Amino acid sequence: MTALPWTLFAPELFLLGAALLVFLLDSLGIRRLELFGGLATVGISIALLGVLADLRFAPLAGLATVPAGNVDVPWSPLNASLVVVTSFGLIFQAIFLTSALLVALASLSRRSDEKGAAIFFGLLLFATLGMTLAALAADLIYLLLAIEVTGISTYLLVGYTRRDARGLEAAMKFYIIGALSAALSFFGASLLYAYYGTTNLATLGTGFVSMFPSPLGGATGIAFLGYGFLLVGIGFKVTAVPFHAWAVDVYDGAPSDVSAFLAGGSKKVGLFAYFVVFLVPILASQTTFVCPGGPTPTCHYLHSTFGIPLQVLFGLLAVVTMTAGNVLALMQTEMKRMLAYSSISQAGYMLIGLAVATSPAIAGATLQIFAHVFMKTGAFLVVAAVAGFGIGSRIEEWKGVGLRHRWLGASFAAMLLSLAGIPLTVGFVSKFVLFSAAVQAQGWFVWLAVAGLLNSALSVFYYARVLRVMYMERPEVGSAPVPAGAVVGGSDPPALTLGGIGVGRATAIGLATAAVFAFGVYPQPVLAGLQMAADHLVQLL
Amino acid sequence: MTDLPLAGFVAVSAVLLGIGLFGILTRRNFILLLIAIEVAMNSAILNFVVFGSYWNSISASSVEGQSVAVVLIGLAATEVAVGLAIVLALNRSRGSINVAEATTLRL
Repeated sequence: MTALPWTLFAPELFLLGAALLVFLLDSLGIRRLELFGGLATVGISIALLGVLADLRFAPLAGLATVPAGNVDVPWSPLNASLVVVTSFGLIFQAIFLTSALLVALASLSRRSDEKGAAIFFGLLLFATLGMTLAALAADLIYLLLAIEVTGISTYLLVGYTRRDARGLEAAMKFYIIGALSAALSFFGASLLYAYYGTTNLATLGTGFVSMFPSPLGGATGIAFLGYGFLLVGIGFKVTAVPFHAWAVDVYDGAPSDVSAFLAGGSKKVGLFAYFVVFLVPILASQTTFVCPGGPTPTCHYLHSTFGIPLQVLFGLLAVVTMTAGNVLALMQTEMKRMLAYSSISQAGYMLIGLAVATSPAIAGATLQIFAHVFMKTGAFLVVAAVAGFGIGSRIEEWKGVGLRHRWLGASFAAMLLSLAGIPLTVGFVSKFVLFSAAVQAQGWFVWLAVAGLLNSALSVFYYARVLRVMYMERPEVGSAPVPAGAVVGGSDPPALTLGGIGVGRATAIGLATAAVFAFGVYPQPVLAGLQMAADHLVQLL
Repeated sequence: MTDLPLAGFVAVSAVLLGIGLFGILTRRNFILLLIAIEVAMNSAILNFVVFGSYWNSISASSVEGQSVAVVLIGLAATEVAVGLAIVLALNRSRGSINVAEATTLRL
């Protein structure tokens, strides 16, 4: 029951304060995009610095520990077992905040007469707040509620322009799928609660059955069904195949800046949830728990009940997701839809970490998630910037973009090469670490690495096709103007500065590109930190 | 609670979930979809109340299920508010709230 110091929540408080300030100023009639954007950027930057300080100054191995799960601890806001600060969670917070920062920076360059700036930046802050809160979760219900904070903000974010029919349609689809996913997740949580009598993440799935018989006769089927519902419910957020279909329509229909946030940021909350929910039962099946005072009728083992089936499930999910994502990406003629399918296949690679469930694999998956923030957020931001030149989202319209807009083209090429996993980029390092961890784990996990390698080779085709269009093909003389429907909603850049895309957007794209190369050449500090965090997580659970 | 068997409540919540999922999959009117989503959500809430009551009958300090149910009712209301906002905007922009007609995004 030791209270955590409030300073640990300073990042979240800054985000909340900035969000409330944005809405307050809006209601007072002060409506200036620069002001809202500035507030959001500063708020997210301070939060990011706070998280990095926590990571740097707190002993990485023991900032706080998961309180020992106890069935009889009453659920109350005062109980510290609702939240826990782990280095793993802090790293995810940094990942979420980086994505939000890039999007906020880029959105500073919108037309300043655009309506709804307060809604955009306010909701962006609230969504980020939900994500950072989720990264502190020590309780399943708390985790799902924090994800819903993100979810509800992002449904509105997708349709915030209110006039753009495509954005609204995307918002509608996103909302239906999101609400369905929430209902399934909470139903799964209720079944787990029925079985274990607690919703503490560290206790669920450990095999310690509570002191009293479960209702429904203690059939393990109830718990497994609960995990199944959670797998499907959170699977929608992760865009794992076959729960992925919504993502393509939503990323396509949403304003490109919002797509950047969805693909680069908010999707990662689902992956974090997958890790904290499912690593416990998987790891519990690999270790031997010792009941205090030896096994008794009130404390017995259920290990290896869920672990292996869950690992097989996640392995299948990973292979199906990456393969389907890549094959469907090959067939796309629209840039945003191709990027959406590529995002789905990347989620497949990340799921390998969960299937293998050793600490190097978890570190590799986290590095992949880290890399994906820069690659995918950056790529969608470039699409939004290019849309400002009247170049639509169809790939054939991108003819010669690499020659006409050299810096934008070079940045986009860097993102695509990194997504394909070409050496010297961060995408190569993360895939290398992840696949070698799978190989090290031996057994059938080697096949996951093989599937990942084959898929990486496959993905080169569609990335290379875009590069060829951008650099090898000349734009048709007098090429047709962009059809009205293809204009990327709500993301037209403003008065032309700095290469015609605005200072904020240029900075965001520049930062993302620099990160792709910087962490590609010198990944050691990040990798070491991730490795320690993963080790720590495995020990904790 | 002592009179009615637990399995009865669980059956009701399973039926609610089934109705909700069936509605989500088959309904084409956004308002009816919202109702179906609510029904599915309520099955989870009912579960929390029922199992909370069970655990509470065993250990009086365990009130987790009921508290969670109250929080979830709030969450469900928030979700519906957002859904209705989207319905209003959709109806204004295209004059229809039929989900099947929203097909601009398919290629």
